[in-house]
Parts: sequence; structure tokens; C-alpha cells
Amino acid sequence: MRQMKIEKKYSAKKIFARITLLIIPAIAIGAYLLWHLNEYYGVLESQWATESLFLATGLIAGCLFYSFRFRFITTTLPLLLLLFIIGKIVSNIYTGEFTAFYAITKFYIFSFLFFTGWLAGWGFARLRWFPVILSSLIMLLQIIVISNTSDITAKKLVLAFAPVLVFSFYIVYTAELVRNMNEDEPNFSWFIVKKLLGFVVAAGIILLLIFSFYKKDFLAIEQQYGGGKSETQTPNKESLTKENKDGTVSNKKQMGLSGGRSSTKRLVFIAKLDNYFPKTDLPNPLYFTYDYYTKFDTLTQTLEVDSLMPSNDLFQPDPSKIPLYFTQTDSSVLLKSKGYLDKKVVSTEVYKALLSPKEFLAPATAFFCQPIAVEKEYKQQFKSAYRAKMMVSDLNSAYFVYNPAGNKVLENFQTQRFNLLRQISNWNNEDSAFMSYYTFIPKGDDFDSIRALAKEITKNATTPIDKIIAVRNYFLSTDETGQPLFKYTDNPGVPGLPSASKLNYFLFQNRKGYCAYYAGATLFLLRALGIPTRVSTGFLTMDRSTKNKGWYWFYEDQAHAWTQVYFPGYGWLDFDTTIPSTEQQQAPAPDGTPPITVQTALFVTHGKVIDVDTLKKRVDMSVSQMIYHDKTFDLKKPVTLNMDVSLATITRDSGEVPLSELKVGNEITALSFSDQFKNISLKDSNSYQEIVEKIPTPAPIDEIKIIDSTKEQQQIAKEIKKQPASLTKIIWIAISILALFILLIFSLPWLIFQWFNYKARHTKAIRQKAYWSYNAAAYYCNQLGYSRDEMSPTQFAKEKIDAHFKTNFYSFMLVYLKSKYSKEPLTHSDENVVQNFYPTFYKTVKNKIPFRERFSKFLNYYRTINFFSKPKI
Amino acid sequence: MMETVNTETALQNIQRLTDNIETVIKGKRNQIKFVLTALLAKGHILLEDNPGTGKTVMAKTLAHSISEETAGDSVSFKRIQFTPDLLPMDLLGTHIFDDIKKEFIFKKGPLFCNILLADEINRASPKVQSALLECMAENQITMGEITYKLSELFFTIATQNPVEMEGTYPLPAAQLDRFFIKIVFGYVDEETELDIYKDYLGINNNLNNLKQVLGIHEILFLQQQCENVFVHEEIIKAVRNIVWATRKTPDIVLAASTRSGIIFLKCLKAYALVNGRTYVTEDDVKDLAQPVLHHRLIYRNKEAKVSALNNIALAEMDRLSKLKIN
Repeated sequence: MRQMKIEKKYSAKKIFARITLLIIPAIAIGAYLLWHLNEYYGVLESQWATESLFLATGLIAGCLFYSFRFRFITTTLPLLLLLFIIGKIVSNIYTGEFTAFYAITKFYIFSFLFFTGWLAGWGFARLRWFPVILSSLIMLLQIIVISNTSDITAKKLVLAFAPVLVFSFYIVYTAELVRNMNEDEPNFSWFIVKKLLGFVVAAGIILLLIFSFYKKDFLAIEQQYGGGKSETQTPNKESLTKENKDGTVSNKKQMGLSGGRSSTKRLVFIAKLDNYFPKTDLPNPLYFTYDYYTKFDTLTQTLEVDSLMPSNDLFQPDPSKIPLYFTQTDSSVLLKSKGYLDKKVVSTEVYKALLSPKEFLAPATAFFCQPIAVEKEYKQQFKSAYRAKMMVSDLNSAYFVYNPAGNKVLENFQTQRFNLLRQISNWNNEDSAFMSYYTFIPKGDDFDSIRALAKEITKNATTPIDKIIAVRNYFLSTDETGQPLFKYTDNPGVPGLPSASKLNYFLFQNRKGYCAYYAGATLFLLRALGIPTRVSTGFLTMDRSTKNKGWYWFYEDQAHAWTQVYFPGYGWLDFDTTIPSTEQQQAPAPDGTPPITVQTALFVTHGKVIDVDTLKKRVDMSVSQMIYHDKTFDLKKPVTLNMDVSLATITRDSGEVPLSELKVGNEITALSFSDQFKNISLKDSNSYQEIVEKIPTPAPIDEIKIIDSTKEQQQIAKEIKKQPASLTKIIWIAISILALFILLIFSLPWLIFQWFNYKARHTKAIRQKAYWSYNAAAYYCNQLGYSRDEMSPTQFAKEKIDAHFKTNFYSFMLVYLKSKYSKEPLTHSDENVVQNFYPTFYKTVKNKIPFRERFSKFLNYYRTINFFSKPKI
Repeated sequence: MMETVNTETALQNIQRLTDNIETVIKGKRNQIKFVLTALLAKGHILLEDNPGTGKTVMAKTLAHSISEETAGDSVSFKRIQFTPDLLPMDLLGTHIFDDIKKEFIFKKGPLFCNILLADEINRASPKVQSALLECMAENQITMGEITYKLSELFFTIATQNPVEMEGTYPLPAAQLDRFFIKIVFGYVDEETELDIYKDYLGINNNLNNLKQVLGIHEILFLQQQCENVFVHEEIIKAVRNIVWATRKTPDIVLAASTRSGIIFLKCLKAYALVNGRTYVTEDDVKDLAQPVLHHRLIYRNKEAKVSALNNIALAEMDRLSKLKIN
């Protein structure tokens, strides 16, 4: 008779064991996978912790639920129905297309995760082979994710596959263990604790390995938590030192063109920009440029960075290679760039938080870079700093789409600059190569429709600037129903510059995208009209600081792409057509206090370390270059300088370091802000020898910057460098990993046998040897098809093995059982039996069965599991 | 008196006894072992099978192999055929009036013997059954105010027909509990059967010419020796686990008692000795679980009766076999 009461299918202890030993590790790997997926798929919005929570809830709920005798289909269908109904309700609650869309997307993601967890919980509770299925699925998922990435490195592969592989082995093994464990054991809980501890230790070791392998990225993750705090934190907190040690980012590597994609708000850098609207003290923000995308590659259908672009005005110094306070100027940038009207030189000081010390970012057109020291109390927040100078047109401004209405000064400025620009109607005087390069637009249907659209929306405009404004207005226009035509969204797909077909989809169908879409679309619309245009990437500059005028804070989500249009006489001007997001953006974090004063070093020397005395805190260096009161000297003959470093901070690109890191032979820059140097009078005619003589010995030094040697830098560069891999390579790697995995799975029975074999042959203690010999022999027989089934080992040895192979297994078994259960000592002849049994037994059995048969039988995984599992009751 | 007998001679004695019985009972080595196990564990045995499978011969052979200490006679062997009209006094004895002495004297019944064959025990009325079982448990008979001790060696071999047969009074579970071991005697295999047919005269001859290989004291001493058999802690645990498992399985309605666990242990020791060992192994556990426990349990259904206990014993044997003890 069928019982109506729902009974527990398993004992509470078994359920507990299942939760602790299977579900928790599954949650761990799930969280890891989600974290990993979040790096690749914007739709997940970097909320891996919450998402993991949902997965975990599903897993635990499913596992608990199906530990009772519930039917799968009759319970899962109502659950699906419930989720569906909730989904409907959610979509009705939220009005407004955007909010609804987001709420629904979010709900679908979470309900999908919950349901996946639920299914997995069911699998763990009910299906014996589920861990194998799960492992394969996870592996497959990782392969798909990895093959979708554009840049693939060995480290990424290890990071992606190592935990999954380890988890697979663990889960398959433990699931069988849990299935077969005897919950009536008195030491059951200790058993659980042991296994769990084992798992934690193993996981810890793996994590450590991965961590050491991929240190940089992990530190960056850590900063995800520390980053939010860093603005409000007092800079002296020690906790930040370590976190920030290596966790720098560079625009190229992490920012991409994700625009506001990332919801993490890590501070990348801050800058003071001395650019104000003419004759006012109203700051005029300028976008910080990193790179230009100028060339359209018809093969890949994408915009590319082209180092051979005509009039290359990109200044790309490596600030970490320039000694502090020394300068690098590239006047050729100015020469190459087209001449300016209303131009002025603007300077900026950039203080890097997360930004890699190697990166250089400045408004266009920069030509000067000078690394400067960071004030001591800010050293922990800002690793390094530089001053940059650039030639800026008065007409350039970040304000275009973001047009704060009501601000008189700004409105006047806009009218004035548009009026000035309206005077330019053509580029007839420009170099034809320059023009054809910057107005290049490929042929094809896709682009014909863009051309048509460009004509259509600018039909009322005559001058180029009006056309640009028309394009902007088109993006800001509304449709017949009064809804905005275009929308801003972070989730149109995989980040990166969109390809042409995607742009067409964006312009004509979907009309949703982030900055790169708007920039790309604008580029083609303008180029279709014959206006020289390029896409610029870098950082969006937002003026939010009322108390610190001219200071700007740059967070990760300010990575940006926009268009620059060339106007003869004025140069490249920024026109950002990315429409503002209608979603409620997170309120920007209050900006902290910037290091106001730019430190002026009175005395700077550059050279090599000769001697370090860490006790007396004295350093000897051989000076090859020197700056004294802003005057630079190149020393023809190096001069040895004895320095007092007791007050000095020692830094390198990664941050502050102790004096002990200063090694003989290091290339260093030493600075002094000391008043002692103020008092030394200096005439223009003084030669460096005269100055050196006047320097006090030891010279008081405030800061020493170690310049990493090229080798070290190359190492860092290597890590940062992308390794673009072809699809075939990815597939090959994926296949070989899969093959390795399969090989490991299939060779597992053999590996286990080898372990027994080894123990049986090499164990010295006689009782132990008997145990291993028995296991090796029994396992070998079992794997070769002679399973013990319901026989006792003695029966098995006598009736099955000895009868078939004519071995002396039975007589060995008698001795083994004696050694196992008797307290009597083994006799000499007993010991002989144990010593001689296994090798001869192995040989006899092996010789009776041909290799091919043995080989095929050793592939049988099922037999192995049967050997270790408990007979079914 | 042989007081300084060591384990070596004990094992030899058992071997001699087994061999001696085997000259008559052929192809029943396992059954002989169980009978001896029950004997050495100071218990009793219940043989269940159809008539004509050699139960009586088994009992006789055992009796004939053991000699009375003083005379050269074999120990006293009595056989009672149980029928529905049998009365307790037919077993225990009765007080009769002595005309000469003018008093009642006690006439001992057939229970006053060393080896008793209670044939077809389930044909007798429950009253008789309980009278017998009481003696088996207490090793004494109480008539009125006088208690009569039975012989120090009192071993009952009871037989019963399969319960389904007509005209039987099934033994209640509580009474079945008194039997240490219950086995199905079973038919011999084809080969042996042929041998038996060829030599059926010889069997009778053998029985009549049977030597008495052991004295009653040697049997009593062997019973003592059983206590010296070493039982590893894990084996004791296994016994506990099996007993507990019977209580946990929903398939078993009446589970094993603590007493049956103790009986199990006693039997394990005796069985090890019978098998020529001074320690108990996992095989013993597996072999004995069914004979010792099966008849004490009441199962939910027929299916469970076939497999439930067997599965429990197998699982425990499997656990022991995988154990690493050092």
C-alpha cells in the first residue's frame, strides 16, 4: 500500500553529510564560476556575490526538498509556474520600459540561478551519476566561456580549469563516499569533520597556488572591496598598503570600452586640470585621452588603433621610466598635429590610485610628462603622480551632450564656439591623404544605409558643426509617442568596440548601447558626410568637486569612448554624443581631499646605488644627472654623493617599500625638499662641480624612487601584454584539457591499482603488508572481472580465485585474517606466506589474462566504484 | 581428568569429533559444524526440514561419539517423538506410588539424559513445548517442591517440520529464542546422495560401530575453552551493528534482543573453535548471522524474510572486510 505520509528518504545525518560535503563545495565552485562569468558577461552586472547566494539557496533548498520522497516532475512544474507568475507580477509592478526591462532581466537571472541550483540539489539528492554529469557540464561551460574571450593566456586557462578539475575529482569521489557511508557509525560527525577539513585544506592549497599564480588579478579583486573605502579612509591605514601593492590597472587591460558597464566604483586616478573657461574661474573639463581608434579594418569589421595614422599626435611616454622630476617632451607631437587657433598650454597633475604606473593619460594634445613626488600622507592612496602639459584649444570642452542648461557662462561659451566653428565649411585646404584617411568609410549595404541616415538627419544643416549638432540631436530625439528614440544601456553584449553589423543593428533596430556604440555610430555618420572624425578612448571627466576647483575624480566606470572631429585651425575637438543614461545612476561617491600642494624638489639626483647602510641609514650613490633649483645638469663624470636617508621614504612603482629593498646597483632618483638647499645661493654660471661642493654631507634626502630595471619592467609588461590567440588554438587547448580530463578519469582505476600495488610491494610492517596485499589482489581480481559480490573475502579467494587461477589466495587469506583479528603473533611460516604471496599471485593472474583483455577491463570505471562501494541493501 | 589441555588439543578434539560424525553423516559438514557450535556454546539447536533428511541420525551419531566418563558407554541419548497428545509428564517424569515403601517416588522421564532428540517439536501442544523449553533454559526440572538437576551436559537437538505443514503448533517467538541456532538441515548434493544409496547398509553399520572419541568431561572442557576464543573489538561492534540494524529496518517487525546479541557472540566463539581457530573472523559473522538470528525475528513480509537479515549481515561483513585493523 502506498503511504500518504511524506517520509524522509534519507536519515538526517546523511542529509547533513550531503549538505556539508557536497552542497557547500558545489556552492563554492558555483560562486567561483559566477565570479568568472561576471568578468566576461556584462549582463550579470558584477553581482556575483548576490547571484551565488541565489544559487546556494536553490541548491540547499533542492537538496533538502528532495531528501524527502517528493516526486520530481509534480513538484518542479509548480515551482516553474510560481517563478513564471512572480516574473509576470514583477514586470507589471515596474512601469517605464527601462526599469521594467532591468527588473525583469534581473529577475530572470536570479530565478534561472535559483532553478539551476534547485535542479542541482535534486541531482545531488537523487541521481547517483549526477556529480559526473555536473562536472562535465561545468567543464563545458568553462570551455565555452574561455573560447569566447579575445585574449587568452596560460594563466587564464589555469585559473579557469584548475578549480573546476579539482572540484570534479572531489565531487565524484565524495558523492560515492557519502552514498556509501554508514551514518550509524559512532564517529560519524568526526568523520564528516575530517572529510570537510580535508576539503578545506585542499581547496586552500589550490587557492594559494592560483593566488600566487595570478596574484595581480586577485589583488585587484580585493580592491573591489577596499576601493569603495579608499576615498573616505585616512591614507595612513596600513590595510591599504598591501592591497594596493600590485593591484594597478591600465586602461588598456581592464577598462576596455566598457563605459559605465562596470558597477564597481574603484578610483583609478585623480587629476588637477588647470583649464578654465576664458576669463572666468569656471573649470572647463577636458576628457583624458588614452588612445585613438582611427582605422576601420574591413576584414574584421572593427575600428582599430593605427600607429601609422596621419598626423599622429598621440604622446605615449612611460612615466615609470622617467626619473622623478625629470621631463620628457615630444615637440614632434605638436609639429605633427595641425596648428591651432586660440591655443594655450594647459597643465595637469595626475595622481594614480589604481592606474598602472606605466600609463600616461592626459587631455589631447599632450607633449610633456614629468613624474612628480606624492605628498607623504597621500602616498598610500596614490602610488605615483606626474605632471603633463598639453596644447589645448579654447574651443574644446567636455560639454556637448552634457549641457547644463541655465548656466550662463556655459551657454555663452557654447554659442560662441558654435558660431566660431560655423565659419568653417570645408576642408579644402587639408592634405588629401589626411582627409581620405579620416573620412574613410567602407562600401557595402550596411554603410549605404548609414550614409542615407546621415543625409536624412542632417538635411537642414549646412555647416559641419550644425551637422554634428544634428547628429547629437538625433540621438537625443524622441519618437512619435514621446519616448526617447535612443537609450543608454550597459548590456548590449560583449564589451569592446562594436563591429559594423552591430552598429547597424544599434542604429536601426535596437537603439540601445553604451558609449562605444554612440561613438562608433557617430564616427560613421560624420564620416559619411565627409567630416574627418576619429574615436578617442580614455576617461570621461566630470566636474563634481565644488570645494576643490579644477580637481577631477576618475572612477572605473568613467572609462569612456567618444568622437573627435577635426576643425582646421582648431585641431581635434571632442564631441561626445553618448546620451545620458535614464536609469538612476548610483550617486557618485563624495570625492576626498586631494593632495593640494605640488611638491617642488629643490634638489634631485639620478644615478646608481653604490652602498647602503641600513643601520645608519646612509646611502651612497653615484650621480649621473642632477636637477638643482629647476636646472638640469648632465654630469659628465659621475659624482659620489653621501645621503642621509633617515627621513626618506623609499618607493617604487608598486608603492612604498622598506629601506632594505634598496640594493647596490639599483637605479634611483633621490629628492630633497629640505630647506638646507634653499639657502645655498646659486648663480646661473655655476657649474655642477661647484654645486656638488656646496651640498652638505650627508645630504638630507626626503624621497628615493627606485626605478625598476628593464628586466623587471619587461616581466611586468609580459604579464600585462595581451596574447591574442586564434580560435583554433583555443579549441586545441580546450580539447587537450578535455582529453586530459577524460584520460585522467579513465586511467583512475589503473592509478588506484598502482597505488595498491605499490603499497603491497613496499610496505615493511607485516600486518600492514598483509592488508595492502589483500587489497591489491582483491582489487586486481575485481577489476579483471572477478568481483567478490556477496561472498566473504575468504570464500571469494577459495571458490572464485584459487579455483580459477590455481593461486594460494585462500591460504594467504587465512593468515591475513589471523593478522587482522587475532592477538596472537604471526608465526614465521605465516610471515613467509605474506611476504611471498602478492608478487607470485600478481604474476600468475597477469599471465592468465591477455594484455588486451586486461586493458579493456581496466577501463571499466563501474567495477572500481563497485569495489569501494557498500553492497546495496 | 584432563585439566591441562591446551588449545592445540582442544582443536584436535574438535577435529576428531567432527571426523567421527562425518563417517556416518556425509556431505553435511556445515550442518555438523553448526550442531557442534550449539553444543559448545552450551545451547541447543533446532533443525528444520522435511522428514528423512538425516536429523535423527545426526543426533544419534553425536550421542554415540561421546562417552560416559566412567563406563565405556556412550552418553545417554533419548529420543522423544512429539505428538499432539503428548503430556508434560511424559517428558519430565511422574510421581508413582511405591507399594513397598508406601510413598511416592519420582520416576524420571526421558529428559534426564545428556543428548535429547526432540523430534517434530512443533507437533506437540504448546504446554509440552513450554515444559521442554523451560528445562532447556534452566537445565533443571521442578516437580512440586523438589528441584531435580539435569545432567551437566544437556544438549537438545529439536527438529521441526516446516511450519506450513498441517497439524503443527508453531513455536512462539519467545520460545524460539531459547534455541541458539536454527538451521535448515537440507538435502545432500547429488554426488553424496549417490554414495549414500550405494552404502545404506554401511551407514547403519557405521553408526553401530561408532567409536566414542571424546569423554563428557572433554566436551565440558571444550565448552569452557570457548570463552578463551579472542573476539576483536571490531567483531563485537559488528554484532552490535547487526543487532541495531535489525531494529532500524522497517522490514523487521520484531528485532533482535540484547540477549540474542550475547548468544550471537557465544556462538561466534564456539564456531571459531569448531573451525579450528582461536579468534573470530568476518566469515564467522557472515556464516552465523542467519542461523543464530533469523528465527528470532519477525518480518514484515516474505520478501523481507528472504533478504532483510542477509543484507544486514552482508553489509556488516563487507564493512569488516574493508577495515584496516592493525
